[in-house]
Amino acid sequence: MSGLAKVLGGAKVLGTRDDLLTYEYDGSADTASPDAVVLPETTADVAATARFCHEHGVPIVPRGAGTGLSGGAIPVEGGVVMSFARMTRILEIDVPNLRAVVQPGVVNLHLSTAVAPDGLYFVPDPSSQKACTLGGNVAENSGGPHTLAYGVTTNHVTGLEIVLSDGTIARIGGKAVEDEGYDLVGTFVGSEGTLGIVTEVTVKLTPLPEDRRTILAAFATMDQASETVSAIIAAGVVPAAIEMMDNLATQAVEASVHAGYPLDAGGILLVEVEGVRDGLDDARARIEEICRAHGATTIRLAATALEREKLWSGRKGAFAAMGRIAPDYYVQDGVIPRTRLPEILRKVNAAAASRGLRIANVFHAGDGNLHPLIAFDLRKEPDALRRAQDAGLEILTACVEAGGSITGEHGVGMEKNCYMPLQFRPDDLAAMRRVKEAFDPAGLANPGKVFPTPGRCREFAYRAAR
Amino acid sequence: MSARLEPGDALECARELAAASADRRSVRIAGAGTKAYLGDVRPTNLELVTTRMSGVVDHVPADLTITVGGGTSFALVAAALARAGQFLPLDPPHADGATIGGVIAANSNGFWRSRYGAIRDLLIGTRLALADGTTARAGGRVVKNVAGYDLDKLVVGSLGTLGVIVEATFKVLPIPDASSGLVTTFSRAQDAFGAADALVRGPSRQEAIVVERRSGGPWRLLVGARGNAATVARAREDAAQAVADRAGRAEPADDVARQLMPLRELPATALEGALVRAALPLAAQRAFAETAADLDAFATCVADAASGIVRVHLRGDDMAVAAGVDALLMAARAIGGSARVERRADALRERIGAWDPAEPRGHFLMRRLKDAFDPAGVLEPGRSAIG
Repeated sequence: MSGLAKVLGGAKVLGTRDDLLTYEYDGSADTASPDAVVLPETTADVAATARFCHEHGVPIVPRGAGTGLSGGAIPVEGGVVMSFARMTRILEIDVPNLRAVVQPGVVNLHLSTAVAPDGLYFVPDPSSQKACTLGGNVAENSGGPHTLAYGVTTNHVTGLEIVLSDGTIARIGGKAVEDEGYDLVGTFVGSEGTLGIVTEVTVKLTPLPEDRRTILAAFATMDQASETVSAIIAAGVVPAAIEMMDNLATQAVEASVHAGYPLDAGGILLVEVEGVRDGLDDARARIEEICRAHGATTIRLAATALEREKLWSGRKGAFAAMGRIAPDYYVQDGVIPRTRLPEILRKVNAAAASRGLRIANVFHAGDGNLHPLIAFDLRKEPDALRRAQDAGLEILTACVEAGGSITGEHGVGMEKNCYMPLQFRPDDLAAMRRVKEAFDPAGLANPGKVFPTPGRCREFAYRAAR
Repeated sequence: MSARLEPGDALECARELAAASADRRSVRIAGAGTKAYLGDVRPTNLELVTTRMSGVVDHVPADLTITVGGGTSFALVAAALARAGQFLPLDPPHADGATIGGVIAANSNGFWRSRYGAIRDLLIGTRLALADGTTARAGGRVVKNVAGYDLDKLVVGSLGTLGVIVEATFKVLPIPDASSGLVTTFSRAQDAFGAADALVRGPSRQEAIVVERRSGGPWRLLVGARGNAATVARAREDAAQAVADRAGRAEPADDVARQLMPLRELPATALEGALVRAALPLAAQRAFAETAADLDAFATCVADAASGIVRVHLRGDDMAVAAGVDALLMAARAIGGSARVERRADALRERIGAWDPAEPRGHFLMRRLKDAFDPAGVLEPGRSAIG
């Protein structure tokens, strides 16, 4: 602590017990306290901190806004948490090249707001986009509802400046769509802080669509809604977003935003098509026809921008709205081939019901990316988190068995690192470890994440075996 | 003459690689061998051919994904998808002969890149045979997946230097029902690239926006779109407007795909002289193309103007070709891009190297990755810029 203060100056280092308390959690269920918190203002500060930590064998855990849902910013093995709260500048908006260069602490939505006057936006729109940072988006390879047609963070990043755990500064990629040699940028995005720290990001900017149509369709059952999703995809309409909510999620969302979501529906779809005005109404008609053919009870088109905004703020605020149902929740992030939706959703609900837990589903149906959200009250049921995590494991197992993934956008972090062997064999993980060792031979970059750790995962292996 | 290995499956392939590593025998990896000209390859002890690891492993049309063996021919994949009314939205050079594994390893994209994404955006899973005798899967068969490191990205463009792609899974799309196109010529590069740029920024999503110039000829702009009838009609309207705004005369070209074919196949046909391939920031393309057109050895320039990938074919006197190559590599670097010599005549291989003498950004990390995956250094010596 005093050593760090000597290197960086006292104003950039926090170390009192009260200070550290603020940095022991993120959006996930886990907590751990750092030994110190560093607030760098420049890449040089980051590199100096890394050099100091490397010399003393201390882990570094980068932190954006702390909205992550897999414990990526939790210092599970102690060490220094590096907050990017002071590196929040948009360095360059390069309209001719359709790029922006930003510091890692820039908030996702702030970038799209800043480039809107040029008719541009940054595509990935995680639900937390009003708070989450682009550095965090790069670390987690974040998605969002509108990534169905245009891809996730990794599809929109062309260059990075990174600082390795030994303090080496490296620039990789640039403003062109590719660079010579291996795709280091593609390898780094989504590495959850375990390969190094991002200090600058070059992102693609995309022209705003000319127009959109936002359709709400309500169904009596989730099965009908799921089958509609497959039918829309199979019909060759590629919407910008297809989101689904079950009844419990709808109740919570409607109570919070009053967007007019039908409260009696078993399943609701929010479908958006966008692009040139021409043909949009054909696509809308096609989607409505498919919805009707699958028994939709209500079909509504957002008539105004405000109405659309309300529908989306309901969807994006869904996790927060769950507070109306219960004070605590645990959310999962499995992915399945979208044709398996009806079957796996039944398994999801059974996994919660058999443990006496309430579950809400609000998710990216077009991608097959599930977000089962298990709600409980820890004050009344102290063991509920444990039961919810058991249900989560059962759900992820079902996802992997269906040919899917344990995480679509929230990351592995420390929440699911013990689950990696569900999806990957030892040889697969060994190949990933080679990448880890090439970037971070000292093992100080966000340790205890992504890869199973012997200590914490022993208990998991025991539970899974039961 | 190198010994030929033809493994029939992933495990056999991995065993062959392990044996070669143990004996320090160098290995060239080939699919159909369409891009054997890439890099500064040296003779190897072994040639490992992937074509027995071929076939469609899984295709679920309703999921819009397909999994195929790395040695599967691109044409076979296209045919299998077409039977279901779908297509893999890639238009690489050598599409008739190339294998899927080769297309991935060479990061061999075409003009559709900006519209549908590059290989790195469409590839969602791979299985690799590695030099230590193991096989490793990365990604999966679902369109969204952030579990573990993205080794799929690492392998795209790795030119066989890290391992062999024995299986790959891609996102696919339904074949659009309508198409349109137009072509036009301009006397000034700024008009051709200006019109292209207006379309890149415009609301319509064109499938291909290509600028071409041959020595002594005008700057040609070729634009194609596919989609439903309404969006395609609008795309053509927007393209015609962008041309008209620069006092050009657009010719409708419903056969634009056919006209684009020889431009896409430039790497296959540039047998003489040298072919330089640059990846540039979008706005830097015009200056680069103009620099190229002024070179003594200039023959042809083809720009995927929506993505910033520019190819320049130089021909004629050896000295002039070599000088032109140097000028273009330096120009690409100076404007924030990168370039390489994609192909050169056999007679020029001694005189003209494949790579920019300046190391690629992050070279030390590439070197560490190479050493981690191929510690014996037997895979594709000289093939890539990593060395």
